[in-house]
Amino acid sequence: MARGKRKQLIATLVLMLCTAIFPTLSHADDAGLIVSAGTSRKLAKGLNAGFEAEFRSRNSFRTASRVGLAADISYKVLPWLKASGGYDLLIDNNREKITYQDDGVSYNNWRPSYWGVRHRFNVTLTGSHKIQRVELSLRERWQYTYRPSKMIDNFDFDEGEWEDHEVKGKGKNVMRSRLQVEWDIPKCKFDPFASVELHTTRQLDQTRVIVGVERSHKKKHNFKLYYRGQFYRDKTEDTNIHMLGMGYTYKF
Amino acid sequence: MKRLLHYSLLLTVMVLGLTSCVNDDSDMDDIIAQYQVEPASIELDYSDMTEADDVPVTDEADSAYNDYVENSAWNKVIEINYDGATATVNGRVSGVSVQTSGAHVTVMNMSGPVKFVVSGTTTDGSLKFYGDKRFQILLNGAQITNPHGAAINNQGGKTMYVVLADGTSNRLQDGATYTMVDEEDQKAALFSEGQIVFSGRGTLDVIAEGRGGIRSDDYIRVRPGVKINVYSTALDGLRANDGIILDGGVINVETSGVGAKGVRSGGPMTVNGGRLVAISNGDTRITDESDLTDTTSCAALYCDTLLVVNGGTVKLKATGDGGKGMNAKWDVAIQGGTFMAVAAGTRLIKSPKGVKIDRNLSITGGYFYTYSRRSDPLDVSGTTHVAPGYKTYDHGPKVITIAY
Repeated sequence: MARGKRKQLIATLVLMLCTAIFPTLSHADDAGLIVSAGTSRKLAKGLNAGFEAEFRSRNSFRTASRVGLAADISYKVLPWLKASGGYDLLIDNNREKITYQDDGVSYNNWRPSYWGVRHRFNVTLTGSHKIQRVELSLRERWQYTYRPSKMIDNFDFDEGEWEDHEVKGKGKNVMRSRLQVEWDIPKCKFDPFASVELHTTRQLDQTRVIVGVERSHKKKHNFKLYYRGQFYRDKTEDTNIHMLGMGYTYKF
Repeated sequence: MKRLLHYSLLLTVMVLGLTSCVNDDSDMDDIIAQYQVEPASIELDYSDMTEADDVPVTDEADSAYNDYVENSAWNKVIEINYDGATATVNGRVSGVSVQTSGAHVTVMNMSGPVKFVVSGTTTDGSLKFYGDKRFQILLNGAQITNPHGAAINNQGGKTMYVVLADGTSNRLQDGATYTMVDEEDQKAALFSEGQIVFSGRGTLDVIAEGRGGIRSDDYIRVRPGVKINVYSTALDGLRANDGIILDGGVINVETSGVGAKGVRSGGPMTVNGGRLVAISNGDTRITDESDLTDTTSCAALYCDTLLVVNGGTVKLKATGDGGKGMNAKWDVAIQGGTFMAVAAGTRLIKSPKGVKIDRNLSITGGYFYTYSRRSDPLDVSGTTHVAPGYKTYDHGPKVITIAY
C-alpha cells in the first residue's frame, strides 16, 4: 500500500474513532481513560503467562476510578483455540449513591464514593479464524468477582447523622462474549481492530464496543490506542461511559 | 520506534496529568448542615415569671365570670388537716357532711360555695367530694398521697376552684394501682367531673403513677401566678375533656408512659399567657385487639379541636419513638406569643414530627418554631396560612422558624 494511502487509511480510522465516540455521547454520559502496561512471557510451546497493571478514570478524565493488577496463563489447545485462566485484583473507587424518599425529592441516604477491593477470577476460551488478512475471533469468558464486605460512612438524612454502613460481601457471575475483528494491513505499521462484547448475568447487563489500532515492533513491543464505549442496561446503577484507551505490552 | 515510545510516554503522562484526584461526589456539605441542625433546647422551667396583673372578670354576663374565685363569697369554711394516718376536720357548715376514715376524707356538699382549707401530710389519705355545688380547695401546704387511687377526687359536676395559698408548696400523688368504686370515675391523681380552675401564688406538684396527673371531664383554666408541675409515668399529664384555657402561670408537665400525652385537650384550647412546658418521653403504644394492631404515638400536646395561641409561651418536646411535639386534630391558629415544638424521637413504629395538624394552620403573629430530627418538622393536612409581615421565615428540612 502506498504511503499516502496508508496515511489516508489511518486518518479514516481516527475519524471513525471520533465518529464512534461523539454521536453516542449524551449529556448524562461520562468520559474516562484506560491506561495499561503489561508483560507476556512464553513459558513453553503454546503456553504463555501474562501480567498487567491498569488504571482507569471517569468524571471526564478527572477522577481516578480503578487501579487493577491482573495475571493470567494461557495455552494454545489447537491452532485456532486458546484456553486461559486469570486473576484480577481490582481496587475500585465506587461512585457516590444518593437515595430519595418516596416523594422522589427528599433525600434519604447519601453514601459518598469510597475505595474498595474486588477479586476476580476468569476462565476463557478463544476461537479464531483468519480470512486472508482479516482475523475473526470469538472469546467466551466466565468470570466470578467477589467483593469482600466493607464498613463505610453513610449519611442518613432521616437521622440527620453519619452512620457506619456495611457494604456486604457478595459474589457475581458474568458471562462475557466478545466478537473481534482485526485487520492486518500490508506494510502498514498500524493494525485496526474492533470488537463488540456482551456482559450477561441473568440478562444482558452491559455492552462494550471497542475500535482502535495496534502497533507491534519487533514482536516485543505492542501498543494499542482505542476507544471503548461501555453501555449499561440499568442506568440508575451505572452511567454509560466513553473511554480513551492506551495499552503497552512487552513480550519476553 | 524510539519516537513512538517517546510520544506514547508523553501522551500517557499528559492524559494521566488530566486525571487528578478530583472527587466526583456531589457537594453535600451545605445540605448536610441543614440536616445536622440541633434543636432548640426545651427543658422544664421552674423559674419565676413576671406576669401582668390578673384582673378578674366582673361582668356576670361574661361566660368566664364563674371561673373567678373572687366572684363568690367564701364565708363557709371547713379546715382539713392531714397528719400521717389521720385527718382532723375543723368547722361545720350546714348542708355539708365530712367523714373521715383514717386520712381518707369524704365530703358531701349540698350547700352553696364552701371553702375547704387543706393542709398537712399523709402517705395514705385522700380527699373526695360529692355534690353538685361549686367549692374551693385552698391548698395550704398539703401533701397527700393515696396509694389506692386519686389524691383528690371530685365527683360533682360543678367548678372546683383549686387555690394555691401564696408561697406554699403542695403535692398530690396517686398509687400505681387504683381501687375502683362502682359507677365512679377516678382518672388522675387530681380528678374532677366538673371544671377545675387553678389560681393563687403557690406551687402544686402532682405525681402520677397509676393514671393521669390532672384531669377534668369538663374544662381546666389556669390563672396567672400559679405554679404547677406534673410528672406522670402512667397516662396523660394534664387533660381536660371540654377544653383548656391558659391565662397565665408556670406549668411544667413531663410524661413517660407509652402513648401518653403531656397535655391533652378534648375541647378548644386557648393560650392567653403564662408558660407551658410539656415534655413527652414515652414511646408509641401498641395494642392488639381482635387481630388488629393499633398504634398510638405520644405527644407533648394533643388537641382534639381548635387551638389558639394569643400570647404566653408554649414549649413542647417529644423524645420517644414516633412522639409528636404537637398533634392537633383540628385547626391551629398562632396569633401571638411563643410556640415551640421539638420531636427528637426515633422512627421505628410511628413518625416523630414537631407539629402534626390534621386540618389547617394559620400563623398571623408571635414566634413559631418546629423541629423534627427524623421526620417532617411540620405536617399539615389542610392549608397553611402565614400572614405577611413576618421578620423571619426559615424553612429547612428539619426546622421551620417564623417570627413576627
